[in-house]
Amino acid sequence: MPPMPPMITMPLMTTSLETFALLSPEITLVAAAILVFVAGAFAGFRSGWLGAVLGIAAAMALAGGQPDGGATLISGTITIDGFSIYIRWMVLVLGGLLALVQAGDVFASASSRSGGSWRGSTCEEAGTFLLLLAGLSLTGVANDMVLLFVGLELVSIPTYILLALKRTDAHGQEAALKYFFLSLVASALFLYALVCLYGIGGSTSLAVIGQRLCSTDEQLMGMATVLLPVALGMAMAGAAFRLAAVPMHFYAPDVYEGTSPGNAALLATLPKVAGIVVLLRLLALGLGGQAISMAAPPSLGSASLAGSAPLAGSASLGEAALTYLTLFWQLSAVLAALTMTVGNVMALLQTNLRRLLACSSIAHAGYLLLGVAVAAASGAACVDTLGNGSIQTASDTSWTLGLGGASATLFYLSTYVLATVGIFAALTYLGHRWPEWSSGSGPRPLRQEITSVEDLDGLSGTNPVAACGIAIFVLSLAGIPPLPGFWGKLSLAIAAMEVDWNARIAWGSRRAAFVSLAVILVLNAAIAAAYYLRIIAAIYFRSAKRGVQADGGISAGVAMLVCMALVLMATLSPRGLFASASQAGSVVSRNILSDSVGSDSFPASPHTVAP
Amino acid sequence: MNGFPPGTHLLLVIATPLVGGIVAWVLGARGRHAVRQSAAVTAIFTLAGAGWLIVRSLQSPEAASGEPYAVIEVPWLVDGIFDVRLSLGLDGLSLWLFGLSALLSLTAVLVSWEAIKERTVGFYVLLLVLEAAMLGVFAARDVILFYVFFEFTLVPLFFLIGIWGHEERRKAAVKFFLYTLAGSVLAFLGLLTIVLWHASHAGTVTFDIDTLTAGMAAHPLPMNAEGGWLQMVVFLALFAGFAVKVPIVPFHTWLPLAHVEAPTGGSVDLAGVLLKIGIYGFLRFSLPMLPDATAVAAPWLFGLGVVGILYGALVALVQTDLKRLIAYSSVSHMGYCVMGLFALEAVSVEGATLQLINHGLSSAGLFALVGMIYERFHTRSIPNLGGIAARAPWLTVFFMLFTFSSIGLPGLNGFVGEFMVLAGSFQRAWSGVSTAYGPAYLTMSVAAVVGVVLGAWYMLWAVERVFFGGSREPPKSASQHSHGAGRPDDHGHDADAPPDDACDLKWYETLALVPLVVFVFWIGVVPATFLEPSATAVRKSFRASAEAFDLRMHMDVSEHRTLNPSTPHARNTKASVVHLP
Repeated sequence: MPPMPPMITMPLMTTSLETFALLSPEITLVAAAILVFVAGAFAGFRSGWLGAVLGIAAAMALAGGQPDGGATLISGTITIDGFSIYIRWMVLVLGGLLALVQAGDVFASASSRSGGSWRGSTCEEAGTFLLLLAGLSLTGVANDMVLLFVGLELVSIPTYILLALKRTDAHGQEAALKYFFLSLVASALFLYALVCLYGIGGSTSLAVIGQRLCSTDEQLMGMATVLLPVALGMAMAGAAFRLAAVPMHFYAPDVYEGTSPGNAALLATLPKVAGIVVLLRLLALGLGGQAISMAAPPSLGSASLAGSAPLAGSASLGEAALTYLTLFWQLSAVLAALTMTVGNVMALLQTNLRRLLACSSIAHAGYLLLGVAVAAASGAACVDTLGNGSIQTASDTSWTLGLGGASATLFYLSTYVLATVGIFAALTYLGHRWPEWSSGSGPRPLRQEITSVEDLDGLSGTNPVAACGIAIFVLSLAGIPPLPGFWGKLSLAIAAMEVDWNARIAWGSRRAAFVSLAVILVLNAAIAAAYYLRIIAAIYFRSAKRGVQADGGISAGVAMLVCMALVLMATLSPRGLFASASQAGSVVSRNILSDSVGSDSFPASPHTVAP
Repeated sequence: MNGFPPGTHLLLVIATPLVGGIVAWVLGARGRHAVRQSAAVTAIFTLAGAGWLIVRSLQSPEAASGEPYAVIEVPWLVDGIFDVRLSLGLDGLSLWLFGLSALLSLTAVLVSWEAIKERTVGFYVLLLVLEAAMLGVFAARDVILFYVFFEFTLVPLFFLIGIWGHEERRKAAVKFFLYTLAGSVLAFLGLLTIVLWHASHAGTVTFDIDTLTAGMAAHPLPMNAEGGWLQMVVFLALFAGFAVKVPIVPFHTWLPLAHVEAPTGGSVDLAGVLLKIGIYGFLRFSLPMLPDATAVAAPWLFGLGVVGILYGALVALVQTDLKRLIAYSSVSHMGYCVMGLFALEAVSVEGATLQLINHGLSSAGLFALVGMIYERFHTRSIPNLGGIAARAPWLTVFFMLFTFSSIGLPGLNGFVGEFMVLAGSFQRAWSGVSTAYGPAYLTMSVAAVVGVVLGAWYMLWAVERVFFGGSREPPKSASQHSHGAGRPDDHGHDADAPPDDACDLKWYETLALVPLVVFVFWIGVVPATFLEPSATAVRKSFRASAEAFDLRMHMDVSEHRTLNPSTPHARNTKASVVHLP
């Protein structure tokens, strides 16, 4: 008799008062934002970012006192599990670093203007930034489509404001407008996707939709065949915009180039986190949603995947879920392959440093999508196996490295954001360059921003610390061992190669697709090395023709040093990050994945539900 | 003394250059001399530690049984998820290469003594980091750790070439890095496939190389159409990484540029040690883990080795740049290693492993000497050089010695290695292959012998043009001969003289070369010292492949007697490529 899998973690319901406690970090961020806005009317121009950093620190303190993600807590529209805690910490750490970078950006812009004409909008910027962080953190905890969408908009709208506030020249306007319109389109598309999912699930709760998707309802199948492709396509387009993935990638070089380095750092990291959160949460729908039985009505619970497993031979088991997951992995696999390649090939052609980094961030979105595709495909493989009534034997599944696609994605995301923020922090810290060496008397020529790769020529001589930092970050992005980027690519490659391990590699098979993706991944890593090396070659192999000075504010320098320290820590001992990423990832893909493995250790579980 | 655990000893030897690098960095403020002294002291300490470790391992019971010595394991990544360990140890395959890395690192430090005048701190720190990485590659007993060191050797060398190299250094550095990286990422996927395959059959995930080797013997990767020719695919993936590193001929184009543009110290490490990692990779992974695929590919790689020998020699013959000539001679000499390895005969594989050391010594010596010539005469162009023997007799003596070592003069090391390789390939040609292959193998072996003659030709011709005859290089100063004839050790009064004045070897240059010469003679006269400790491990490593090859040959004898020998391989190889995606 096919066994009933045990529940690994029991979701707990909490009261609404506890909801406030659980959301205290996000609430703190919003409160700090309001305080900063109000204080901005009175205080000097420096205090905005100071307030932001303090607010983030307070949020970190509150987040530190919260449960550690071992159990899943459901409270109304929020879920606190390993995944959301991982995202929350990533957002807070990233937010702290970005606030330091942004503060440095302020100094850079302030000092580059003629004194006195500074508009002093830093408090507005800092407050907006805090709201952005709160929104991103909310998408991580959202268990409800409405909250998810509100969180996403709370990411998008502050981004428009920041883009518009920071730069008032033509390029800045262009960047802000371009991002604004495209982001609106992406949000609209994503909203359509949510509507379609509502049509399938009949509820805004992600848990309920997940249950419904995994049920064996005949009516559902009819609806799903129409709605699922539409929903997925729209959702993928919406997420692709935030990830800067093909086909919504083309804005990235223009926008990064047009805005300030601090904003570019923000754009290269926070929306990507949002995109991955959304994709993984939506992916989890096909795996039965989070919190499989407690949050759902009993009737749905009995029809859930786990309950239906004993129906050997019922081919309809989880058919909608299977369709969903299959579409999911196929879409994201194609996008991943395209995005990595397009991003890297585009980057090869760039001479502008920020455009180059934008293209590199597109390529990294491709690597992240690869992890998402792996997660979806492993889910599909499990549903497939369960649906066919033939559960894999222990020798087939127990050997897996256990680091599935979701965990690999989350790990990779951390390594990527650290290195990217580090580079932009270094660029912000460096600030400006002199047009030519000006060592004599006479009026100093006008300073210019660091724009092209050539502007970094000879940086190793003029600023060895920043040079070393950029080299480390760039090598990490290139995936050179033993830097964290290598561990990220390693886990992605292993995850991809593990998909359907026991199947034959044949044309068109799932395994063939993922083996080719792994090959594309490593080849792209080699292509990417070409342009990353160009940056290093400029810094170390050329002599300085123009002086680069560090006038971007010491706080950006501090952010760079912190990034360096974190990257080196993750190099020497990647264990900690690995462990939390793997815990977070396993939460997302928990239900089915852990069930199919656990089913062998609990062959006679009493929970078998007969319909 | 014996109570000191060898594992800790090994770890200390690998860590010494890193510590020395930090010391050199700290001393950077005190000037160039302090930095280079500390680097030299570090290299000497590392060499002494490595030498002592090798002596200890030779006396250990593990050496007799071919077991790894000085094993140490420290968990690194998460246990249970990625059980990657900092797992180190030495066995017969890696023992001498480990020692060679330590030896040549000292050479690299000493030949850079005067050559590096700018950014000295960075240079020596990178040189020491490179030494640690090279030692690590050979000591790694964990696949991921091996790959980490394997890739990481690129980074310091990339900077060494790109910052301190010659005119086209930037292009050379980038080309070197990209070529090697592109190959090794594919090798990485191949290694991961091996790990996953083993895990799916053994039920546990391990990255331990010995366990994987045993596991591959128990559950070989499929080498048939149903299995998607997986073994061949993995072999080709590993080949992509190791062939670029060796380099095997169609993949060698990065090498002349990188060698020519690298600073002398970088060339010494690159030619002396880094090229060996490719052959070491074949011996460590491809041959023992993928015997069936090796058996299929062996005739082709044997042929590519011979092509490399001839091609390298012919191109070297027409070079006018002395350093480029030696770079192409490296291509030629690594061809012997490839040929010996894929002849899959005991004597030739042992010869190939010895030839690794031989080439390490002779090419490092030659590159060092070319660097010294360049420092003195500011040119490497053979037509512009001439009559150096009269001005720098000791330099000439050493150059001749390494030339003879390189061309295989009996009594020196090169002879032993080349003789064993050729003996093994002739043995294979006469008795070890089916009749269909016999003539091809025989032709290739004869061609390799022609390569020996060519090798003597281009080297001796270059020596003749550069060292003898009239002086064709405009002298830099009038007083050429004032100190030239003295003993090389009589350096005291040279210290303040201009560089061109003191034409012959300085004390540090002599110190860099003498240890190499000692080993050139030692291996030439008593090769058993070096062959015996590695024999067991080498035989163990290629035995499976040799058996598979013999089996294949017997099958060919019975089934494919009438077939053209090349067709079945071509078909197999193509089929495996098609199945890859």
